[in-house]
Amino acid sequence: MLGAYLPILLLVIVAIGFGLVSLVMSSLIGPKKFSVLKMSPYESGCEPVGTGQERFSIKFYLIAMLFILFDIEAVFLYPWAILYKKLGMFGLIEMGIFIVILFVGYIYVWKKGALEWE
Amino acid sequence: MTDLPLLSVLIFLPLAGCLLLLPVWNCRVSARPIALGVALIELALAAWLYASWRGLSTIPAQLPGYLLQEDAAWIPAFGIRYTLGLDGISLLMVMLTAFTFCVALTVSWNSITEKTGLFLTLMLVMESGIMGVFLALDLALFYLFWEVMLIPMFFLIGVWGHGRRIYSTIKFFLFTMFGSLLMLLAIVALHLTHAQQTGVATFGLHELLGTQIAPETQLWLFGAFFLAFAIKFPLFPLHTWLPDAHTDAPTAGSVILAGLLLKTGSYGLIRFGYPLFPQAAQTLTPLLYALAVIGIIYASLVAFAQEDMKRLIAYSSIGHMGFVAIGIAAWQPVALSGSIIQMANHGVTTGALFCLVGMLDERAHTRDIRAFGGLWGKIPRYSFFFLFFSLASLGLPGLNNFVGEFLVLVGTMKKAPLVAALAFVGIVLTLVYTVRLVQEVLFQEERQPLPLADLSLREFSLLVVLALLDLWMGVHPAPLLDMIHLPVQLLTGTP
Amino acid sequence: MDMITIPAVNFTPILPEIFLSVLAMVLLLINVFIPGDRKAYLGYLSFVGIVAAGVLVAAGWGGHIESFSGSVVLDNFATFFKMIFLVSAGLAVLISDQYMEREGCNHGELYPLILFTVVGMMLMASGTDLMTIFLGLEVMSVALYVLAGFNRKNPKSNEAGLKYFLLGCFSTGFLLYGMALTYGATGTTRIAKIAAVVGQMSLPSANIMLVAGMLLMLTGFAFKIAAAPFHMWTPDVYEGAPTPMTAFMSAGPKAAGFAAALRIFLVALPTLQVEWSQVLWVLAVLTMTVGNITALRQDNIKRMLAYSSIAHAGYALVGFTAGNGTGTAGILFYMLSYAFMNIGAFAIIILVGKKGESNGNVQDFAGFGVKHPVLAVAMSIFLFSLAGMPPTAGFIGKFYLFSGAIQQGYIWLAIIGVLNSAASVYYYLRVMVFMYMKDPTEEFDWMQVTAPMALCVAISVIGSLIPGIIPSLILQFAQQAIKLI
Repeated sequence: MLGAYLPILLLVIVAIGFGLVSLVMSSLIGPKKFSVLKMSPYESGCEPVGTGQERFSIKFYLIAMLFILFDIEAVFLYPWAILYKKLGMFGLIEMGIFIVILFVGYIYVWKKGALEWE
Repeated sequence: MTDLPLLSVLIFLPLAGCLLLLPVWNCRVSARPIALGVALIELALAAWLYASWRGLSTIPAQLPGYLLQEDAAWIPAFGIRYTLGLDGISLLMVMLTAFTFCVALTVSWNSITEKTGLFLTLMLVMESGIMGVFLALDLALFYLFWEVMLIPMFFLIGVWGHGRRIYSTIKFFLFTMFGSLLMLLAIVALHLTHAQQTGVATFGLHELLGTQIAPETQLWLFGAFFLAFAIKFPLFPLHTWLPDAHTDAPTAGSVILAGLLLKTGSYGLIRFGYPLFPQAAQTLTPLLYALAVIGIIYASLVAFAQEDMKRLIAYSSIGHMGFVAIGIAAWQPVALSGSIIQMANHGVTTGALFCLVGMLDERAHTRDIRAFGGLWGKIPRYSFFFLFFSLASLGLPGLNNFVGEFLVLVGTMKKAPLVAALAFVGIVLTLVYTVRLVQEVLFQEERQPLPLADLSLREFSLLVVLALLDLWMGVHPAPLLDMIHLPVQLLTGTP
Repeated sequence: MDMITIPAVNFTPILPEIFLSVLAMVLLLINVFIPGDRKAYLGYLSFVGIVAAGVLVAAGWGGHIESFSGSVVLDNFATFFKMIFLVSAGLAVLISDQYMEREGCNHGELYPLILFTVVGMMLMASGTDLMTIFLGLEVMSVALYVLAGFNRKNPKSNEAGLKYFLLGCFSTGFLLYGMALTYGATGTTRIAKIAAVVGQMSLPSANIMLVAGMLLMLTGFAFKIAAAPFHMWTPDVYEGAPTPMTAFMSAGPKAAGFAAALRIFLVALPTLQVEWSQVLWVLAVLTMTVGNITALRQDNIKRMLAYSSIAHAGYALVGFTAGNGTGTAGILFYMLSYAFMNIGAFAIIILVGKKGESNGNVQDFAGFGVKHPVLAVAMSIFLFSLAGMPPTAGFIGKFYLFSGAIQQGYIWLAIIGVLNSAASVYYYLRVMVFMYMKDPTEEFDWMQVTAPMALCVAISVIGSLIPGIIPSLILQFAQQAIKLI
């Protein structure tokens, strides 16, 4: 039964091998000529300004996380949308509870000020 | 009167007395009489039991040899019952307990000045615990009281003691706890073996007596019990906690430790160790003989070298308890009676000695022998009692220790003459250090001028009572021996 | 149009969970609408809610209702553990308010988080499907990660939260992989069906996938109950987390881990008992020994209690190794009494501590016995109970556990357990030595004993003493609870 997965294992090995071999070969065979310009980080052709290690503002993380949460909520609403008629009242109540729970979270987030950008 | 659950009253009366202490917690003057009053009521109860024991023995009890019994269900899930029993041996111990606590409370009347409420409460709780140890017939109940005894003593030594009191009290607690925990496992194993064989889950002593145990298992189980009791005796080489605990404890603590706690070990061996595991006990008898004799000789030699009076008396306790151990090891009616009497004798005598040292300590603020000398001329009444109890301690005929030691030696002579001879050597060594003590403290030239007052009325009356009791037990031990005669016969299996 | 038939669902088994979830959401909403100085009302409301949930849970005693096609059950086992969770949550809620005020935390969200943790734990206890148990575990753990790092201004708290999160996720991975392998070996995640399939296997211990799955699940649970050698997170997390949360974490999730592990190993995999009890033997010995020996050297009292809780998990593992009726009932009894004594001890630690946890050492207890005699007596009772002295509940619990071990023939395990108990007495005694036998170095004037804290201490004292004096009260429930296991 496990034999059916053999091709996948081979694919994984080939994929990893491909990446590894490329890197190893290029470091072994390729010429090594270092210059300051080549080693500096790439910023679309402009001169790099400031240090490379800026502190990320936490609000990016918050927005990303809130997006994920409400996006998943939307994803869960799709199957209900398809089977809406067949699930009838039961489906309405069940999904209603689901939406209310997330709505509580939404109110909490709103009142806490996480939706303010500044 | 016998309709009352007297044994439960004996155990829980001091606890009830603690409640009486709550309103006067901070008032030292009123708390002390209340505590002493409770202890005296307890003593009166014990005295009543003693006075009526012959009458009680005619009432047919469920178990042969027992005067009073109580039984109630407690934890049916485990088979633990609340079983108490009083026979002649326990009665002697109960009387000793009640009396010793009165002595301890009286002797510490003036010396405990701070946190008196807590001190008195701890003393009463300990009285309950020790009464429980002597009265319990259910192994789990016995274990509970055995452990409960430790907690007040831990605080007693740690809070009101002196010197290295914290080190001593932690050592005492951990040492005793270690032995007790192994005993707990042995109790559980015994219970389970019995349950496997008969299908009855019980912890009661008399139900467990007939359990058939394989010899090797019996040896392990008896070994665990023996370890716990040997630590309490104390038997060489498990005695190292005793000198520190005795020396650093307050006077009342030392009196209770020497007078009662040590006896719980020997009582446990007599009541539980030997009856439950007879074959294993017979196998280990040579070991017990050896440890006891080594203990007597070693302790006497070390006592001779001590400069601290309390430490000297502590080592003398090890020696005296060695005699008790020999008597138990012989397991023969005369020797066993001698042991049990010696338990009571030692309690009285050593209790008195600790009282005396405590009184001297209160006056001179030192226990070093080298600081004293020539007390006979300075404080004659005190010196009289000091001499009296020292003579009692070394076994002068006519005073109580002689009775116990004599009976032990006579009984052991029949079973193991060599041991008896070596024990006799021990008596001679006892003579040596006691004479040294008396000579240096009472009769020598005064080394330092110390302002010492003679005995107050309270101390005098306490010592008179102790001395009269000592004399009575030494000259007329027959009533006590009668009391323990039947239980000893039943235990040793002689008709 | 043909309607999809909806399977009949009995909501009774999860009624307490529903109630607590709704309450938590309501509290969350109230929290954002009320001003900062009224947050204590949230605490009172959540306590009332926990008591009401307790009534709901107790009403379910004696029944056996399966629901959600057999993935959730309401039986005595689940009910007993749910009560343990509610007890720990209730006591933790009582002691949080004063502490959070003192530390200056914004603590409105604390109470909903505690309630969500309890919901997760309840699911773990009543789940009879590997997935339900996992679901409950995750709900509980995520809320706990936040609770551990709740004190944002304290770097130790942040460290605690992050450590717990990282190590917790890692161990959850192990647990899930183990569940997946078990599913692969048996074809089902229903515990009862796993038992049937494994029972029909000719040689279950030769089935490598099954054994590997079992071992990995054991690893995951061992992490949650802080068994050595998976205990490394415990001291740092317990020390850094806010003290009421440490108290809660030491009692509730440990019990939840045991509940789930007991159900899986005793119901689903009894045929493999020889194998997993060998592993558990080693775990128990390691846990007890590591916990006790390391605690001997600790100065910080929270760290000391953290190591002591590792040791207590070890004693419970002794009962788990035995796997018989006595041992298992002993675990239930022990978890309940442990909740009382440990949370009580932490309550006293909160009272002795100062803002910023600067009073965290054992030496800071010096003179406590003189200044606050009643609280010192309470602390002594808790410490004696933790040490296992009669007549406290801790003694009866250990007695039960070691009896179970001896009954199954694990004599050496019991001896090691008893020796560890003796060793543990030392570090509990040390606190009492400082309380009663040392002179006070500082004044204890800042200590205010508010009514909730006093209530918590009182309940904990009763809970530590009564099961020791009259154990039958709790024991009969514990024995009935394991009848179906």
